[in-house]
Amino acid sequence: MGSRWLVTAALLSLSLAAAPAVAQSPDSGLEAKVRDVAASLRCPVCQNLSIEDSPSQLARDMKQVVRQRLAAGETPDEVRRYFISRYGEWVLTKPRAAGVNLSVWLLPLVALLGGAVVVWTAVRRWVRQGDAARLAAAPGAPALPASAPDALELRARKAILQASLQELESEFAAGRLAARDLAALRQRDEAELATVHEALKRLKKETPETAKPRGEPAAQRSPVGARRLWSARLGWGAGLAAFALVVVLSLRGSLAPRPEGGTITGTQFSSGPPPGDMEPVQQTGPLDSLRITQLEARVRRDSTNVPALIELGHLYLTQGQLQKAVVVDTLAIRLQPDAEGTAEAFAHLGMILWGAGQTEGALKALDKALFLHPNLPEALLYRGIILFAGVRDMPAAAQTLERYVEVAPPDANLGRVKGMLEAARKASSGR
Amino acid sequence: MKWQRWAIPVSGVPVLALLAWGLTRDARTVPSPLPGKPAPGFALQTLAGDSLRLRDLQGQVVLVNFWASWCLACRAEHRVLLDAARRYQHQGLRIVGVVYNDSRDNARAWIAERGGDWPNVLDLGSHTAIQYGLFGVPETFFIGRDGRLVYKQIGPLDNGVVEQWVPRLLAGTPDGMGAPTTAEHVTEGRSPGHVRISPDFPTAGGTVRRQ
Repeated sequence: MGSRWLVTAALLSLSLAAAPAVAQSPDSGLEAKVRDVAASLRCPVCQNLSIEDSPSQLARDMKQVVRQRLAAGETPDEVRRYFISRYGEWVLTKPRAAGVNLSVWLLPLVALLGGAVVVWTAVRRWVRQGDAARLAAAPGAPALPASAPDALELRARKAILQASLQELESEFAAGRLAARDLAALRQRDEAELATVHEALKRLKKETPETAKPRGEPAAQRSPVGARRLWSARLGWGAGLAAFALVVVLSLRGSLAPRPEGGTITGTQFSSGPPPGDMEPVQQTGPLDSLRITQLEARVRRDSTNVPALIELGHLYLTQGQLQKAVVVDTLAIRLQPDAEGTAEAFAHLGMILWGAGQTEGALKALDKALFLHPNLPEALLYRGIILFAGVRDMPAAAQTLERYVEVAPPDANLGRVKGMLEAARKASSGR
Repeated sequence: MKWQRWAIPVSGVPVLALLAWGLTRDARTVPSPLPGKPAPGFALQTLAGDSLRLRDLQGQVVLVNFWASWCLACRAEHRVLLDAARRYQHQGLRIVGVVYNDSRDNARAWIAERGGDWPNVLDLGSHTAIQYGLFGVPETFFIGRDGRLVYKQIGPLDNGVVEQWVPRLLAGTPDGMGAPTTAEHVTEGRSPGHVRISPDFPTAGGTVRRQ
């Protein structure tokens, strides 16, 4: 009888707690609107969570206010304005695109455009320099007219002269050139090189931008140069595309909608006690999901397999699938209401009830668990937390937590528990 | 070519300036829209079971203090409130405690243990807390005789803040009457665990500094 009452209480409180998540059919339009508005309002007691995502009590209360105001016929904007009038614009998760705030929208765009301009001009410059060098080095390059020299021609001439000087040296070294001839030829080339240098310098001063007009017909280039130019463009384009792809792919993961029942903070209970009062919830991994599938299959074959049911309850709980946890745990309790193994199922229900704000029911369930299994660590831990944070019965909290510390599994994180224990001891001795 | 050489460092200047300006700002400082406005009204049940309306206190200086029995900082603050009550209640100061996110039994036990003869009301559903733009307990609001919110203290009160405001509000000097120009912004710390005394409470004879 007792267990049936407990089950009813658990289901009732769960359905209450889960009401906003499981939208009722006639109000589903309203609930969608509530979710929209709640997602745009910042939770005052959290770090960067909206009141839609936050499990805190104040956020839930604020969401209730959103619901009431929307139900009373206010528009989403009116509801937001109400919260702004209480908390300031701070309360908006997305600042309004006006005034100074506009920079948040515009600056990235400006930076992007600026970056594009820088990349574009740099690539153009490099490609042009590459062309010039190739033109000059190409065998049989047309002699460049000395009249109307432009930067490209001058640079090409410079390269030719430099090559010629080098060649003279090697000819002389090989003994194919007399010292006298070398000196004369060198003098001639160096003199011309000096004038080319001079002309280049002048040109740079006159036209700081580019020397060559844009839109140069491709036909004038050697086919090799044109091919190189295009392969350079293609290479850059491919590089940029690959970069964009990487960015988009890595963003896709973080922009994907959360899985059903998941919270923004990961594996936390969706309606658990305040995070400060809890041991960190176990990380759930792919192994857990695998194990769940295994156990579900086992339970489907034999629904009276109590150990499997209880293990499933535990896994569901760590994954925040509270409804499923309640179903399997109540099934286990119904099958073996007085077995020692069922103690864990009672402990699970106790945690869920506490999360749903049913302190009394939670304590009853945990007492039952401890009656069946006096040293069940989870039951001791949660009873201690509830006595400490909920009921504020410090002597009892200290006693329970002491027992928990004695029987805690070796891998348990006892730091926070010990802090609580100390505070409870201090409070009970102070009275 | 020359402009390109300068373009990148020059475009960095406004970014750096923005960053430098941002670093001088306290990220926890939030301008509150409430001071200067009429205090939001409420009608709530006291722990004793009577009902209390803020409007019935119109014309008096009221200190609305949000607290909870689970809040550690509220314990230290309670002594300040007891002091304020002892010194100023006979001059007409009214203190109203608003119990936030807590049960009647816990709150009653807390008051029974620590004393205080002012009324405490239960704010079930936190509607009043939200009306007052509450971030966390303790938070205290000073209301002048004209019913306007004059000052909002986030974190525990201390005697200094009480002394700054209460005598002036009781005397009803224009400074303390909370005309909208006197207190448009008040510094707030925003996490409830983060206790922080506002650096901006008024200097003697002055008003709340604008930010």
